[in-house]
Amino acid sequence: MRILHFYTPTFQFTGSKSLILLWSIIFFASLSASGHDTKQQLLTAPVTSTQQQAIELIDKIKELKPSAHWPNIKPALFLKNLKKNIYNPVSIYPGKSTNFCGYGALSYLFLQDDPLGYATLLLQLYGDGKATFRQITFDPSPAIKKEAGELKYKGLLDINPAEQMWYLTLSDHYKGYLNFFNKKFNPGDENRFWASVNYGKFNRMAKELLHYNSDAKGADLMRPKVGSLYDYISERIKTGTVVLFINNRIVHKKDHIKIKLGVPTHFIVAEKISIQNDVITFMYWDYGRKTQMQVTTDFFKRIVFGISWFTKKEDDAK
Amino acid sequence: MVFPGSPKKKMMLNKKVNILFIPLITGLLFSCSPKNISTKYYYENEKALDRIEESYKALYQNGPFNLGFTDRDFKTVSLEIITDTLSYIYQFGIDETRISDTLAAYNLNAPRINTLIKEMHGIRCTWINYSDYYVDQKKQTMILMSIKPVALKSLFSYAKYYVLSYFPQPQYFDSEGRLLDKKKLRRLRKINGEVFKRINSRVCYSITGHFR
Repeated sequence: MRILHFYTPTFQFTGSKSLILLWSIIFFASLSASGHDTKQQLLTAPVTSTQQQAIELIDKIKELKPSAHWPNIKPALFLKNLKKNIYNPVSIYPGKSTNFCGYGALSYLFLQDDPLGYATLLLQLYGDGKATFRQITFDPSPAIKKEAGELKYKGLLDINPAEQMWYLTLSDHYKGYLNFFNKKFNPGDENRFWASVNYGKFNRMAKELLHYNSDAKGADLMRPKVGSLYDYISERIKTGTVVLFINNRIVHKKDHIKIKLGVPTHFIVAEKISIQNDVITFMYWDYGRKTQMQVTTDFFKRIVFGISWFTKKEDDAK
Repeated sequence: MVFPGSPKKKMMLNKKVNILFIPLITGLLFSCSPKNISTKYYYENEKALDRIEESYKALYQNGPFNLGFTDRDFKTVSLEIITDTLSYIYQFGIDETRISDTLAAYNLNAPRINTLIKEMHGIRCTWINYSDYYVDQKKQTMILMSIKPVALKSLFSYAKYYVLSYFPQPQYFDSEGRLLDKKKLRRLRKINGEVFKRINSRVCYSITGHFR
């Protein structure tokens, strides 16, 4: 591996005017909403499931009937997608050009935490048009039900209707301040603020859906104060799962604009981290696969805005 | 007869001014416009562009990778090497020799990829990668190539890239030359959220704000 010499602007601030305005208006709201340096309450929940239990459930299903609730979902594709996710959670793919990355990271954790719960929830949602999981009732709007199965030009997500249904349902159900001006789904909204996930919303969804103990550091516009970022993350990876909320605009460059908005936009799941001579080798999951890169500690500090740490409850770990 | 200062003379002067300035302004506006670039650029640079596409396609068969320049000065090479289990992201200075060591470590053809980098640099090609899309649930692939021509560097088109999509088979287009989803379905096919237009049956273009 070689060192990534990322271009590092001294001042980061650009983007559309509306985005800047929106960020400015809700800046203070974000601080409280995103739970900066907030230790989340422990959850009480039943023991979670294993991958094998989910496989046993899903393998018994040889055929699904079309669902009257989801007219554009092809049953065979739905089942295939569900099986693929259970057998291989890494394959979770939230789609090109969408704002589903937060839901993707959440689902990646969900599939590791409670694969049987995931399978049961998605099957119930498909069959009944609504579902209840851990006292959360998902009752997607008619617009969502019509759209699921119809998302196009999103890469692999095009042929994964179970994931389409799930991400649209999550976007429809959970609202954060970024969704304030676009709460009602219209076609194409999967790429817009309607689907956006701020850090507080991500942690809220994780708290409600997952059986993990969790701890969140950071905020939408403020970097986490944890001393050595490397030490903090590497220690937590040893004992749990770490999700990072990062500024992907400077990691995964898509243009050559020098001055960029210094805000996080992307959720990734940290897999491995090591350091040598001030260079961090970092492996993470996002978009259906794992990626490894090397960055300097300074660059790493610049991109990380949120660190969510999830650990198994004692009962689950047994 | 026209007298100085008369309304008729003023009208004639205005007419002359219009004759001179309208084409000038129009010329200025359109000389650097994306539309003008897009219609001419491909054919003016067809050989170089197609050579890059052919080289990349051949090299990709030996081992998948994406390649580009992540800085405006085309001095920083970004290389993404894709293996079955992991993607590796590297960045190098264009003159660094360690790029060859890295390529060799992954059994990639370092001399040919270095040539490809030089060719991309020569034509200001910012990025090249394989991209997948689905037709009737079947996976299809195409090559996306982004170029930042000098003409698109003008003040009013700061963030524009000329993106070419190379399909392995002929595509369908509407009467305006826009890329369609498939023959029977008259829906526009979008790539990375953009509508593409026909250059020939296999190659399309778009002018976008992103190079990938």
